[in-house]
Amino acid sequence: MRINRKKFLEMTAAFAGSTAMAVHMPWFSIFNNPAPDGTGAADRVRIGVIGVGSRGTALTYNLQELEKHMNLEIAAVCDNYEPHFEKAKEIVPQADAYMDYRKMIESTELDGVVIATPLHEHAQMTVDCLQAGLHVFCEKAMARHLDDVKRMYDTHLEEDKILMIGHQRLFNPIYLDAMDKLEKGDIGPITMMRGWWHRNTDWIFYEDTGGRGTELDKRLNWRFYDESSAGMISELGSHHFQVANWVLGQTPESVVGHGSINFFDDGREVYDNFALVFRYPDGIHFSYDCITSNKHNGMQVQVLGNDGTMELESNMWFEEFPSDPPSAENLLQQLEEGENETIPIGGATWLPDTPVRLGGKYISPDYEMNDTLLFLEGFVNYIKKGSAPEKLTIEGYNASVWTLLAEQATKTGQMVTAPEKYLL
Amino acid sequence: MGTRFHLILPGLDESAGNRLFVQVKREVDRIERKISRFDPQSDLSRLNQIKAGRSAQVDGEFFDILKACKTCWEITAGAFDPVLAGMAGEPSGAEDVLPGMHSVQLFEEGYRVKMGDGVQFDLGGFGKGYALEKIRELFLSRGVKHAFINFGDSSVLAVGPHPAGGNWKIGIRHATNPRKSAHVFRVQNASVSTSGNFYLDDGGQPVQHHHVIHPRTGLTDDRPVTMSVCAASPLLAEMLSTAFLVMDDEQIEEILDLYDGVEAAKIDYSAGSGEPEITVYNSNQNNGLEQYENQPEEVS
Repeated sequence: MRINRKKFLEMTAAFAGSTAMAVHMPWFSIFNNPAPDGTGAADRVRIGVIGVGSRGTALTYNLQELEKHMNLEIAAVCDNYEPHFEKAKEIVPQADAYMDYRKMIESTELDGVVIATPLHEHAQMTVDCLQAGLHVFCEKAMARHLDDVKRMYDTHLEEDKILMIGHQRLFNPIYLDAMDKLEKGDIGPITMMRGWWHRNTDWIFYEDTGGRGTELDKRLNWRFYDESSAGMISELGSHHFQVANWVLGQTPESVVGHGSINFFDDGREVYDNFALVFRYPDGIHFSYDCITSNKHNGMQVQVLGNDGTMELESNMWFEEFPSDPPSAENLLQQLEEGENETIPIGGATWLPDTPVRLGGKYISPDYEMNDTLLFLEGFVNYIKKGSAPEKLTIEGYNASVWTLLAEQATKTGQMVTAPEKYLL
Repeated sequence: MGTRFHLILPGLDESAGNRLFVQVKREVDRIERKISRFDPQSDLSRLNQIKAGRSAQVDGEFFDILKACKTCWEITAGAFDPVLAGMAGEPSGAEDVLPGMHSVQLFEEGYRVKMGDGVQFDLGGFGKGYALEKIRELFLSRGVKHAFINFGDSSVLAVGPHPAGGNWKIGIRHATNPRKSAHVFRVQNASVSTSGNFYLDDGGQPVQHHHVIHPRTGLTDDRPVTMSVCAASPLLAEMLSTAFLVMDDEQIEEILDLYDGVEAAKIDYSAGSGEPEITVYNSNQNNGLEQYENQPEEVS
């Protein structure tokens, strides 16, 4: 079954008041109770996009999709790299175009900004925009340094402006069903989480930069450089660290881990593989590994309980002890009672599983919903309301803090805990 | 075979039951290793890996399996075809001659098999019946009086009379009303096999399967139909239930004329009303084809 917008709204309405929605995804109520969408120019939400590279372009297209049915305007675009600046003007020709975000927030009247720049640039841009009175949607992770993460969060509180961090799983409807099933104990007590992101790719976004170490490469393939990124820990792992915190409803007590470059030794400064273990309260562990030279295992986050396993990335759950098919139970009963009744067998193959793996079922119906689009729709709606659920910002904050602590663990070889000043 | 297997042995003490169970399990595992499409080391997988036009040697048992498939393919005029077109080309939907069993040659001498271009064996419509056939032989040799063997609720074998007396009554569950049987087979020392284009999930709801491919068009058959066949031979029941899914009434009757004691039931949910149209075919009746009123039996 594929679920469309109408079914999605029926689902979020049906979950209203449920623990899953109230505790884990309160922001999903916005879709059934959107802010009044006045049609006049005065009611129009004006958004500026800072950074129109690969992710920024995708976000811009999503915003254009929203423009079709919301009173929204991409009023300005900004990128300081000439080819991206030119592309941004082509994609959104009616918008004011800038190469300096400071000029953009001074010169164009905006309600909010979408930031999709390299990680190390997020903090200053976010703080400047919040202090200019703008609401901010910033791509994950938040910042390159812990103090900057804290500064972004604190500024959002001081300025009383929305700060959302783009962990798009927060807006994925499958997680609502998953949280509901977890709350109901469908897999029993959670005893462990596991996750991994395995790809077979050199991860080079831009080929013609002159190679590793050149100024252009540092600017475009910024994910390879320690100054601008924690590599796969921040660019991939942070998504799943957020999921683990969210599912377990807690932040870790500590993290240990290791990383190395053992295959793509081309001058990049970040690991091409790493492995981490986060320890949560109640003795629950989340192990996570990432590799970019083998894709056999793909990407997954598993929640392991005493009665079952959920695989969140593939929308599957597996019971530890699937029930017997009805005919076996029925026959045993009648044999014990000495009766000869009809033994009903399946009208067709009775499958205890999907073709993927024995015993599996879907967690949730299959959604056609684009979670990034839903996230941005939520952002625009919350701008109209003037505030957003604080939990959304806190999810991003905790994910970013533990991303950087995990990196620290791999660099020091030590078990790392969160310094008091970073605890909310 | 990718499914669950239940063996019920009434009247045996625990120790004898366990010994028999171990033997059955070993036999099923052995067959699985031979004909599984999902095990890269199986005889079937190794055969699927040989190049078009090349021949390979198989063992005597596997050769007999392929011969049985070929015989059924001939009898059913290609409706039962365990050879997939693979990636040889997009199905046209027209009644073309697609790569199939006709492009496989079997040579008795040396048990050699020659594969055509782009063809792959898939014994999904054969394996459970074959395993039941082997289990039946084992039970006969051990003098088992009563047994009920169930492969994933789609292929069952009832040995001897029901322990409470009389025939075993095997009901084909009404897909949209699981408390009812759409048709009931009354059997002793016989098997019932069902093929269909949808499966029932754990909640008993039908879900489209898209796993039956019409051998002459290459398209999946999406009609919500199940075909159940009852026969003394589990293997015959298994193969005919697959073939009958894509055959018309006249063709089915012609096949049934070749055998004694075979009964088939087509249960067709196409009308969409939830109440299926049920057609029963019987090799022992001259009129052959009967349209039954929809009076599914209530089961507890």
